[in-house]
Amino acid sequence: MIAVEEPSLDDVYAVVEEVWTTFLGSDEPILPAFEPQPGPIEGWTAAVTVTGAWEAMVLVTLGDRLSRTMTGRMLGIADDESSSEDLTDALGELVNVIGGNVKSLMAGPSTLSLPLVAQGAISTTSHLEEACRVDLTWSGDPLRVTVCVPRAEGEHR
Amino acid sequence: MKILVVDDSRVMRQIVIRTLRQAGFGGHDIVEAEHGLEGLSVVRAESPDLVLSDWNMPEMTGIEFLDALRAGGSTVPFGFVTSEGSEDMRARATASGALFLIAKPFTPEAFEEVLSAVLVR
Repeated sequence: MIAVEEPSLDDVYAVVEEVWTTFLGSDEPILPAFEPQPGPIEGWTAAVTVTGAWEAMVLVTLGDRLSRTMTGRMLGIADDESSSEDLTDALGELVNVIGGNVKSLMAGPSTLSLPLVAQGAISTTSHLEEACRVDLTWSGDPLRVTVCVPRAEGEHR
Repeated sequence: MKILVVDDSRVMRQIVIRTLRQAGFGGHDIVEAEHGLEGLSVVRAESPDLVLSDWNMPEMTGIEFLDALRAGGSTVPFGFVTSEGSEDMRARATASGALFLIAKPFTPEAFEEVLSAVLVR
C-alpha cells in the first residue's frame, strides 16, 4: 500500500533553509515570502520524483537571476562566469538534496530519481496533486518549493 | 594520501573538495569520477586511499560501485556523501562495507568529525 502523506510546511522550509545556507555560504537567510507571487515563477524548474513507500514529486522553481547567483555561489565563481551546463547541474543538485532530505522525513523505503531540470515549467502527471507549497525569497528574488503527492483514491482526473 | 571524489554533479564535486579543504584536509591529492563505473576505473588506475561517493548516479550507483569494489577484492576505505540519510540507507551502506555516510547538506565540521578517523591532515 502506498502511503499518501505530505511533509509540513515547516519541515520543507527547514530543509530548504539548511540546504541554502550550507551550499551558498551566505549570511543572508532565505526567508518565507511575505507576499508570495500568485502565479508561476518565470525561469527554471528542477524536479525529482520519489517512488516506493512514499510517492511524490518535489519541484523547485526560481528565476534566471537567482539561478545564476546560486550557481556562482555553489561553484565559488562570479555569477556571469557560470555556463548553462553549470546552471542545470547546480539546479539539479539543489532539488536532489532538497528532495532527498524531504524523502528522509517520510515513511520509507523509497527511491529518489535523478533530477530533471528545465527552462520553464515541468508538468506533473495527472495522478499527482499539489500537497505543499513553500514560497521563499532571497535577496529580493522568489524561490518556490512544491511537493506533489498522489491524489486520494477516487479523485483521479 | 589520495582521495577519489565520485559524483555526477561537477558542482557537488567542487563543493566536496572545497569542504575537504575547509575541514583541514586540503593537502591531499584529489581525483574525480562522474559515476560508479568511472570510479571503478579510477580506483584501479590511481589506487586512492579513500573514496567519497554519491549514492544516486547514472551508469552505476554508489552502492553498486561499492559492491563491485568489494566483489573485486578492493578494501579501499569508502564513505558516502549523499542527499539521503535515512536509516535504511545507512544500514544498507554499512552492510556493504561503507565506513560512514555523510548526508548533504554537510558542513566542514561534519567532514572533520567523520574523516579525522580516516585521514591525516
